[in-house]
Amino acid sequence: MKIVVNGEQVDCGDGLTVNELLIEQKVKMPDMVSVELNGQILRRTEFEQTTLKDDDKVEFLYFMGGGNWN
Amino acid sequence: MKTDTLAIHGGFEGDRESGATAVPIHQTVSYAYKTAQELADVFDGRAPGYIYTRIANPTTTALEARLTELEGGIGCIATSSGMAAIASVVIGLVKTGDEIIAAAGIFGGTVSLFENTLGRFGIKTNLVDAADTAEFAKAINDKTKLIFVETIGNPRMDVPNIPAVAGIANGFNMPLIVDNTLTTPFLIRPKEFGADIVVHSTSKFINGHGTAIGGAIIDTGNYDWANGPFEDVKQLSKKAGQLAFLAHLRNLIYRDLGGCPAPMNSFLMLQGLETLSGRMTKHCENAEKLAQYLQNHPKVCWVNYPGLESSKFHSRIAELFGGRAGGLLTFGLDDKDKAFRFIDSVKLAKNLVNLGDAKTLVIHPSSTIFHEFSLEQQKQMGVTKDMVRVSVGIEDFEDIKSDVEQAIEKAFEVEK
Repeated sequence: MKIVVNGEQVDCGDGLTVNELLIEQKVKMPDMVSVELNGQILRRTEFEQTTLKDDDKVEFLYFMGGGNWN
Repeated sequence: MKTDTLAIHGGFEGDRESGATAVPIHQTVSYAYKTAQELADVFDGRAPGYIYTRIANPTTTALEARLTELEGGIGCIATSSGMAAIASVVIGLVKTGDEIIAAAGIFGGTVSLFENTLGRFGIKTNLVDAADTAEFAKAINDKTKLIFVETIGNPRMDVPNIPAVAGIANGFNMPLIVDNTLTTPFLIRPKEFGADIVVHSTSKFINGHGTAIGGAIIDTGNYDWANGPFEDVKQLSKKAGQLAFLAHLRNLIYRDLGGCPAPMNSFLMLQGLETLSGRMTKHCENAEKLAQYLQNHPKVCWVNYPGLESSKFHSRIAELFGGRAGGLLTFGLDDKDKAFRFIDSVKLAKNLVNLGDAKTLVIHPSSTIFHEFSLEQQKQMGVTKDMVRVSVGIEDFEDIKSDVEQAIEKAFEVEK
């Protein structure tokens, strides 16, 4: 399965959940990351149940401070 | 998870290092990095991390995560006060020459911020009757950038038709900002009725014990910032997506204004949230009973509590708040002198400027919170000289009633 993570194409296993993707991508400070899936912010409680599909676009956004987005 | 559970567990699963189940208080100004490059990466947004507590703090992050869950939003920024929350949101959206629409009869401090402070920067505020939904549409012109309402206006106790006002705001592609201080997510999630931004003074029912000042801004995710008239937020949405407005605040407006909460205060808000459900239930029960008691009291001229069957907002309370009308009410005692004597005579209730405390609180709004406004302005805001405001606490109802009963008697004693 091919998905796009932070603008880059990534190969990953079928049926991967968002939680599993956070681990696979070695996302730093996973408690603090906001995940946008196909333009919609996921609630944290949805990370475990949300299964990714081919061509999904995932963005990891850090909202807890720092990070200059301007 | 349901609201009651989220209030206790939302946004924090225990401290990974120590196992602490209470959110640790990160009483620190700043955060050290081993190398210059690491800190530079955080500044550039290439790596996550805390920089400075004015921008973010781990204790405050836990509070923000919990409030996000409770309001069903996409993100939250906690602030040093409710006023800092409202100021950040509005300053983040308007520029000189813009106009805003706000419900009349809302908190005097908010009206002062809009008319006096923001007025100095060329922002015009149009106050409209919250009970008359058509007034919102009539007040819109090509300079209008946002609509602001309180779920229950304090102290006029008006309950705007939030879904209808949201429809109007939506039709003109402007955000609806809803102050949910008086009702909290336990009575209403404004997101579900079309609100775009929710603000709170967390000093009130969320804290619940009069121990800390705080506020919060929650983006509900309803507003499409990528297609709004706010050019800087629109540009930011290319990078931050749905979180564009909160990123605009976090990395510019909120950061620059400096309205951050103290970590200790964020902890106190988290503690308050854990018991909010039980407290709100009792606040609402006691307030309804007191409103009914006052309504039947021969010496009380009038009572304003939207939960009363006689209130024109009674059916809206059922539609929006599940039939519970919060813990605040106002009533009239003929004139200012009697209102003053009532306040001087209460023993259990405290005479102070706050609401939402576990304790019952009373105040004479006309001579205190609204003292800077003219009588004509006060009338528009629903404030009268004979008005007493009561924030009904969670003490035993019979004790609250006895206190009010004896104070009313004393208020009229001079007349005998």
